[in-house]
Amino acid sequence: MALHVPKAPGFAQMLKDGAKHYSGLEEAVFRNIQACKELAQTTRTAYGPNGMNKMVINHLEKLFVTNDAATILRELEVQHPAAKMIVMASHMQEQEVGDGTNFVLVFAGALLELAEELLRMGLSVSEVIEGYEMACKKALEILPDCVCSSAKNLHDLEEATAMIRSAVMSKQYGNEDFLANLIAQACVSIFPESGSFNVDNVRVCKILGCGLNSSTMLHGMVFKKEAEGDVTSVKDAKIAVFSCPFDCTVTETKGTVLIKNADELMNFSKGEEDLMEAQVKAIADSGASVVVTGGKVADMALHYANKYKLMVVRLNSKWDLRRLCKTVGATALPRLTSPTPEEMGRCDSVYLSEVGDTQVVVFKHDKEDGAISTLVIRGSTDNLMDDIERAIDDGVNTFKVLVRDARLCPGAGATEIELAKHITSYGESCPGLEQYAIKKYAEAFEALPRALAENSGVKGNELISKLYATHHEGNKNSGFDIEGEGPAVRDMMEAGILDPYLVKYWGIKLATNAAITVLRVDQIIMAKPAGGPKAPQGKKDWDEDE
Amino acid sequence: MMSTPVILLKEGTDTSQGVPQLVSNINACQVVAEAVRTTLGPRGMDKLVVDNRGKATISNDGATILKLLDVVHPAAKTLVDIARSQDAEVGDGTTSVTLLAAEFLKQLKPYVEEGLHPQTIIRAFRIATQLAVKKIKEIAVTIKKDDKQEQRRLLEKCAATALNSKLIAGQKDFFSKMVVDAVMMLDDLLPLKMIGVKKVQGGALEESQLVAGVAFKKTFSYAGFEMQPKRYMNPKIALLNIELELKAEKDNAEVRVNSMEDYQAIVDAEWNILYDKLEKIHKSGAKVVLSKLPIGDVATQYFAYRNLFCAARVVEENLKRTMMACGGSIQTSVGSLTDDVLGQCELFEEVQVGGERYNFFKGCPKAKTCTIILRGGAEQFMEETDRSLHDAIMIVRRAIKNDSIVAGGGAIEMELSKYLRDYSRTIPGKQQLLIGAYAKALEIIPRQLCDNAGFDATNILNKLRAKHAQGGMWYGVDVNNEDIADNFQACVWEPSIVRINALTAASEAACLILSVDETIKNPRSSVDGPPAAAGRGRGRGRPAHAH
Repeated sequence: MALHVPKAPGFAQMLKDGAKHYSGLEEAVFRNIQACKELAQTTRTAYGPNGMNKMVINHLEKLFVTNDAATILRELEVQHPAAKMIVMASHMQEQEVGDGTNFVLVFAGALLELAEELLRMGLSVSEVIEGYEMACKKALEILPDCVCSSAKNLHDLEEATAMIRSAVMSKQYGNEDFLANLIAQACVSIFPESGSFNVDNVRVCKILGCGLNSSTMLHGMVFKKEAEGDVTSVKDAKIAVFSCPFDCTVTETKGTVLIKNADELMNFSKGEEDLMEAQVKAIADSGASVVVTGGKVADMALHYANKYKLMVVRLNSKWDLRRLCKTVGATALPRLTSPTPEEMGRCDSVYLSEVGDTQVVVFKHDKEDGAISTLVIRGSTDNLMDDIERAIDDGVNTFKVLVRDARLCPGAGATEIELAKHITSYGESCPGLEQYAIKKYAEAFEALPRALAENSGVKGNELISKLYATHHEGNKNSGFDIEGEGPAVRDMMEAGILDPYLVKYWGIKLATNAAITVLRVDQIIMAKPAGGPKAPQGKKDWDEDE
Repeated sequence: MMSTPVILLKEGTDTSQGVPQLVSNINACQVVAEAVRTTLGPRGMDKLVVDNRGKATISNDGATILKLLDVVHPAAKTLVDIARSQDAEVGDGTTSVTLLAAEFLKQLKPYVEEGLHPQTIIRAFRIATQLAVKKIKEIAVTIKKDDKQEQRRLLEKCAATALNSKLIAGQKDFFSKMVVDAVMMLDDLLPLKMIGVKKVQGGALEESQLVAGVAFKKTFSYAGFEMQPKRYMNPKIALLNIELELKAEKDNAEVRVNSMEDYQAIVDAEWNILYDKLEKIHKSGAKVVLSKLPIGDVATQYFAYRNLFCAARVVEENLKRTMMACGGSIQTSVGSLTDDVLGQCELFEEVQVGGERYNFFKGCPKAKTCTIILRGGAEQFMEETDRSLHDAIMIVRRAIKNDSIVAGGGAIEMELSKYLRDYSRTIPGKQQLLIGAYAKALEIIPRQLCDNAGFDATNILNKLRAKHAQGGMWYGVDVNNEDIADNFQACVWEPSIVRINALTAASEAACLILSVDETIKNPRSSVDGPPAAAGRGRGRGRPAHAH
């Protein structure tokens, strides 16, 4: 029998060897706060128009250059359990509104940092939580009062541009006017009268070369593909879409062709060719001039397609095929049959073109009635184009949020200071110990204009005192003027820097929830990671998309 | 309390941030630029790069060198990217773009170290770039398209300027004519693929020739090939995608026979199928048969008896170009070999070029394609010639598409530099210094031209500045006389799009590098894990728009 090794007394005794266990204020709560603070510190310098980019190299050695908090976090692989909560909150924000992910991080980080002070003062965790919850409720009550304007007509290009501008500004400062205009064009053109807007309908196609200012927008879709056959341009095209390969159908069941005599052998390939020709001819006869297929294109089929002057385009992705169907109004056929007029889509022109040195197939509508629009982004490096794509993503999401709720709040710290002002006075009216927590909550709002200022090389304290002063004069729309010298303030209504109401609403709510969840933890138990081989990954189902 | 560090990220994750990080990124870019610096200009030196498989490449082309260098530093990779972008967009000027980006960063380094906010710098740079591009557009000279003679002369000049800095500068007159001829043959879209470049070792550079049509190396052939005629006047050409050999009609077909006679019948049938195909081809009147797939010896001999020529396993690209040149279309079945699917040309012949035999199709009716056959000594030398010609072809294409030009040899950079310096003096604030820095950085091009030629750069630059201040806006470095000259008169011309793209790309890259203040490097995922799992795990975490 092995010698008995006595274990340390206490909780650890009950656990397996190698398990980690932390408890109490010092060990658990403060450590958690520390981790979240560090995380917020990283993304904080990326906040706002003057935020800096981060270079993130993920575990697959792919390089990202971005100041989009959601992307940074996704590639960072945060491991600390508490920090992960904040990351999740920011993911929620991205899924809910698609913008303002950094807002959540910075705000949650500030809340936790200030909570630490409260806890060191001697407040109990539950008192802090109670205070934060009350303050959050109050903040969301006050928030509608901060609304300074609302989008009246989103079909109007100029108005939409102005709305999107501030979202794009925080990602691509200096290019915001150009990009916002492009994005607005794309969004407005596919925004139906019925009022439902799908983010997926604005596509981005990135092509290396030239500069950002050569980017364009067009109605329809662009694929980085070459046409398969000899026909490379069709005007006023009728499009037949097939989700199957452009080939003769093969039996799924394994079988052999049984040939009994010489005649059968002689006629076999002839028969096959005739069948193929008949099929292609039937498609051509139905009036189609473009064939789009989701599978491979057989040589024989292509031969007849060329003969009957059909343009053949091959799309590998099921998603692309589905979107194309939507754009041109076609139904994807699972078998190689001749399409009925209803099943065929139409498009003003389909052509092969060269952008830079990349061959692209363009499906273009002349009028603005397509269901999908595409932004062709040009740029000198892949990283830059990826970052622009993310900026576009944010811009399109902002548009979507505005469709849901047209209210807007002033940006650049104006809303935050206004909220802080109100919550401070609310806190003073509370009798209990939670008063301290409420006041700290108000203080946490200052972190956002402070981050804006510090990223622009301006002293945060100077700016905040100035902002408070103007807000007390009743100027509730004044925020940080990023173009001014030093800590300048400006009316954000005039400057046109507006954030959607929903972004703020969800940002405050999710950040507070995340902070409270982190605070509520007083014990961390980490089991020893299991060794041995990794659990097998389930095989992909055949119908699962990539 | 024992303070154990809080582990936020995965073990092995490397993070670095702040101004030192920025400066180190800038330094890394300098190193990359250093590698291609000496290749700029007519007096630039070539580089010999040996890759990990021991293959040696001699090149003067910035993009090629950078691609072979296999840069791993994340910031420096950006420079490789812009060289690629320049290569894709205009094909030439890849060294200039790398140099410019590095020089921009070099000029800005002191400002960054002093603590100027990078975003301020970026703003200034964007303004400067926009101004510079506007200026180029303003002063560029437009080619008159109506006068064919004039246009041709001009295109030749552009091609010559591009070739000037290459290995084959000595033969630039010869090659610039050839390049312009080649491009002029193409249709309006000017597809690059329609110019084929074939390399045959041996002979002198001047023996290189341009074929108005298609030429490709004799393909693999079976017995009987030598009996076929090798020269036809006005032949019809069949382009096929058919295997002409005894073969199974279908992979999963099975034959069941009951008697000996049936067996013989099946064997005969297989032969008949082949002979049937051959007969159809023969009947169609085609004299030259080209196929993507193999042609066996039965077929080869069949054709030989009937005075047909055949070439099998023709590469798709060559077959396509033959189709473009001679008309007709590629057939996958012999069922409908009518006249309109057969191609035609005036002369087909097989000719010995150096140690290789080449098939020539000349006098094609639709000649929208051409082939350049390069001759030369060493293999590396011909490869570099190929790259140089590619650059020149791209330049000519751009010059036709965007019909405006500027003077090269540092002239346009000096003019922009002067313009921006003048402009900067009219504005107050930090922007003044930054636009001034941009202007200074532009001077790197003439400076490097001088350095590479062994001139006193300071002296020449002073002369240039003086000339430009007096309004001589096309004055640039004269490499032949160690002096300055009006490069517009001297016919050192470049399409303006090359410069516009170079400036935009360089400043975009500089801005990108400046805007990074933190690098976070995750440890590489272990190699033994199933790669599919890694992709999948990431795929799940990504939002829907990533699809």
